[in-house]
Amino acid sequence: MSDWGGPPPRRRWRTGPYWLALQIVLSASLLLLLLLPIVALFTYAPFSRIVAAAENVYVREAIGVTLYASGIAVLATALLAIPLGYLLARRRFFGRSVVESVVALPVAVPHLMVGLGLFLLVLPGSPLYRFTNAIGFPVNDTVWGVVLVMAVVSAPYTVLASQLSFEAVDARVLETARSLGAGPATVFITVTLPVALRGIVAGLLLTWARAVSEVGGILILAYTIYPGGPYNGPVTNTVSVYIYDLFQAGDLADAAAVSSLFLLIAFVLFLAVRIGERSGWLPWRRGDLTP
Amino acid sequence: MSEWVVDGVETDLDAFHLGPVDLSLRPGQAVAVLGSSGAGKTTLLRTLAGFLPCREGRVLRDGVDISDWMPEERSLGYVPQGLGLFPQRTVFGNVRYPMELRGRPDANERTEELLARFRLTSLKRRYPARLSSGEQQRVALARALAAEPKLIVWDEPWQALDVEARHELGTVLTDLRATEGVPVIVVTHDPDLAFSLADSFIVLDHGRVRLAGDARALLDRPSDPFVARFAGYENVFDRATLEAGRERPFTAWLLASAGPDGVAFGTPEAVPTIGVPSTWEGLVRSARPNPEGVRVELTVDDLMVVLRLPRPWPAKLPMAGDRLRFNVDERTVHRLGSAAGGAR
Repeated sequence: MSDWGGPPPRRRWRTGPYWLALQIVLSASLLLLLLLPIVALFTYAPFSRIVAAAENVYVREAIGVTLYASGIAVLATALLAIPLGYLLARRRFFGRSVVESVVALPVAVPHLMVGLGLFLLVLPGSPLYRFTNAIGFPVNDTVWGVVLVMAVVSAPYTVLASQLSFEAVDARVLETARSLGAGPATVFITVTLPVALRGIVAGLLLTWARAVSEVGGILILAYTIYPGGPYNGPVTNTVSVYIYDLFQAGDLADAAAVSSLFLLIAFVLFLAVRIGERSGWLPWRRGDLTP
Repeated sequence: MSEWVVDGVETDLDAFHLGPVDLSLRPGQAVAVLGSSGAGKTTLLRTLAGFLPCREGRVLRDGVDISDWMPEERSLGYVPQGLGLFPQRTVFGNVRYPMELRGRPDANERTEELLARFRLTSLKRRYPARLSSGEQQRVALARALAAEPKLIVWDEPWQALDVEARHELGTVLTDLRATEGVPVIVVTHDPDLAFSLADSFIVLDHGRVRLAGDARALLDRPSDPFVARFAGYENVFDRATLEAGRERPFTAWLLASAGPDGVAFGTPEAVPTIGVPSTWEGLVRSARPNPEGVRVELTVDDLMVVLRLPRPWPAKLPMAGDRLRFNVDERTVHRLGSAAGGAR
């Protein structure tokens, strides 16, 4: 705005100082609330303990299986939840509100209930039990059970985020693309999806975060993970259940150490994504007004 | 070089009905579509572009009925309100897009050519959000041309442009019609653009064509208050206002010439105080110089009448409270809302 001319504005604050102070105080309070438990974890577990945890083969297996299962859960969610979000954003159909409410349900109820529901569905001897075993995806106490629970409890975030993102895409932009010669499918791939991608990715990140943090449902459906189907790893637990076990056994120091280790991993992953977005390496925030 | 005929097109959008609309466009010709908000201008453009089905009538391109064709098959450069630029693509990516779709091997070179032609080369790595509205308009036009359209359909091209950018875009559109023979349909609220660009006009009102013809038809026979104002009539009065003051002489005189939608008359010149006989007199409310002279707002009865004092400037501008006299040339008085001005 150099062509405004005149002397530089005399007021130092573009927003009033009280208003700014209020924003800072409130934001800082929340940040503190988020940070303090983490600080507690790191101070309780000496650094040597964290290193020892990182070298412990059981911890590695637990973290490995958690990342593995959550990765599959996120991919499966992307495959199924994005189309549902698109449908909800673009089509008006009878029962749409019901569908939207059903989508929100797994988020709104204790996850033990979700796990219990899934457990009842695949009770040994039930048709679904026989079916999942027959196609090589047994879910009781397997990694597929973990994936199933994770996907069910975390997919709603991606459905909701992609619905909102698709709704926000300007219909006139899409019409212009059609007019320029793109068929409906091409418009979706080249315009709709790229424009909505930022919001969808935010949803997928939430989905992933929710998936790795899942405990309740997993406790019921796949407390212990045995090799089965395509998973040939050792007998293990997800890291959440692993920490829960340590806590139950009264081993606070190890519980804190493993928690700290996993926190570091999650933090680095999130940070990498954010930096990737800001720097333009990851494509979905390109063209935003705010860099 | 294409010839387009719109033959009795009608369409429905929810409760709104448009049409029938008839239009014909020879190569290089431009049509301006006018009308107040909600008159159906955008609906007409979207119907031509294939986003709304024709309920009746046909759209012919070089004699071929394309009414049932998909939007992507119509070879029509549609620029919507807001321009429809792809936010996640750079200027380069936007302009290249239509050629990517067609798999043109020379897409990059063609893109560079178009960017150079529209003076966008230095901006090619920018994203649309970082461009001024004039730059965005040029990108939209360059991208539309990249698809080698046989008709350009543009909704409100002048929106949010400053005087310079308007002039520039006007030149570009004129060039385009001359060199490539692409016909143009624009929806606009801007009389300057319309009169400088368009060979013919259609005026829509509540989905119906109120008037179709060249600029003279519009200027000589304004059909309704909207067209009258668009055609530069500053004195437009609706019937209810006139009815309310019917016992006053000037109002009553106007009412006698008014149609269902009221009356419009051309801006009279103020009559000098001595020597020239005059019929009406009013009180000056304001007087401001403009390119045509001094624009004077005058209260006559309870009506606000606009007069002009032609240039050269008078020695002294009229002041609020001064009395000015004027005559109204009966040839410039038009009844509005009558069948006389309309096409149907």
